[in-house]
Amino acid sequence: MRLTSMIFVTAALMLIATPALHAEEAYLNYKSYCMQCHGMHGQGDGVNVPAMNVRPRDHSDNKYMMTRTNTEIYKAIKFGGPAVNKSVKMPAWGDTFTEEEIHQLVGHIRTLCCEREIIRGVNFK
Amino acid sequence: MKRFLLLAILSVAMSPALASAGDMGANILNQRCSTCHNLTGPAPQTIKDLWKRDAPDLFYAGNKFRRGWLVEWLQKPVRIRPAGVNYLRTINSTPKNLDPKKGQKYDVLWGSVLKPLQHLKLKKEEAEAVADALMELKPHDDLIAGMMLDKSQQVSLEKGEVLIDKVYGCFSCHQIEPGFGGYTGSELYTAGARLQPAFMLSYIKRPKNWDPKIWMPNGNVKPDDLEKIVNYLILLSKEDFNASN
Repeated sequence: MRLTSMIFVTAALMLIATPALHAEEAYLNYKSYCMQCHGMHGQGDGVNVPAMNVRPRDHSDNKYMMTRTNTEIYKAIKFGGPAVNKSVKMPAWGDTFTEEEIHQLVGHIRTLCCEREIIRGVNFK
Repeated sequence: MKRFLLLAILSVAMSPALASAGDMGANILNQRCSTCHNLTGPAPQTIKDLWKRDAPDLFYAGNKFRRGWLVEWLQKPVRIRPAGVNYLRTINSTPKNLDPKKGQKYDVLWGSVLKPLQHLKLKKEEAEAVADALMELKPHDDLIAGMMLDKSQQVSLEKGEVLIDKVYGCFSCHQIEPGFGGYTGSELYTAGARLQPAFMLSYIKRPKNWDPKIWMPNGNVKPDDLEKIVNYLILLSKEDFNASN
């Protein structure tokens, strides 16, 4: 009985802890790599903006971000801006992040723009 | 025979002096530099380790720097990265108290990077000895093996700037003139004088090989453009930026 409950508790903890760990990882990655241009709060107002002729995307802009699919965001991160007909100022991060990390970052960006929609269960594909 | 004896005596007399010069560099490195700089490697392997870094890694200094520049810089240290080595500590979010129509609409630098760099200043002989000791640190010979700059691929300053800004977007993070460019990367206008050409070729080609978690992305630079960019950086470093100021 004790063993079964232990297994049950461990499984439950893993279910809770794994997404939380991923979320922390994605948050740290966003803070480390994306923040310099997209800003501390993802509002497209990073410290490097004065040097850029194209304004980085405001990830909290719900109206615009709702028009982008997860695949497009994934492509923009992995292959850079030109892969989604955007500026070269968005570099390709495919060599920096693993596949999993890019997927986690897409998830993190969705929390910045579209938390309500995620709760509502909108499928961004 | 007499000459031979004289030479032998001289070499015996000189060797402690040479050894002490070599020791002085290593001693200064170990006693005064190692508290902030990583002299033994490896580079940070996780993002959390990266944020713990207080100063640039020096364990591959011999693969990276030009000795002459090191000697000069160690006597007159100045900041190379406008946002510091670790920009998470030096960037503050957009000031909220400002009128968004009038005030800045982007994150700002704050803290120690707004003041002149606080770094140990060495005397000339100390700087020479430390530079010698640093130039011995060459664990990454494999990464620069075969990296030879093709000097025939020269570009003008204008064309180089197009590559840096419009084609590869390096300008967003790096400055090509004092105050002209982004903040989070190291300044590019001194790169040609500071770094060995083989290192620049290798690092731009794949920064991750040198520093696995670094925030400089792999720009997938075409081989010809890589040569042109490094030639441009060397050309750029010969410009006198104080002349226009």
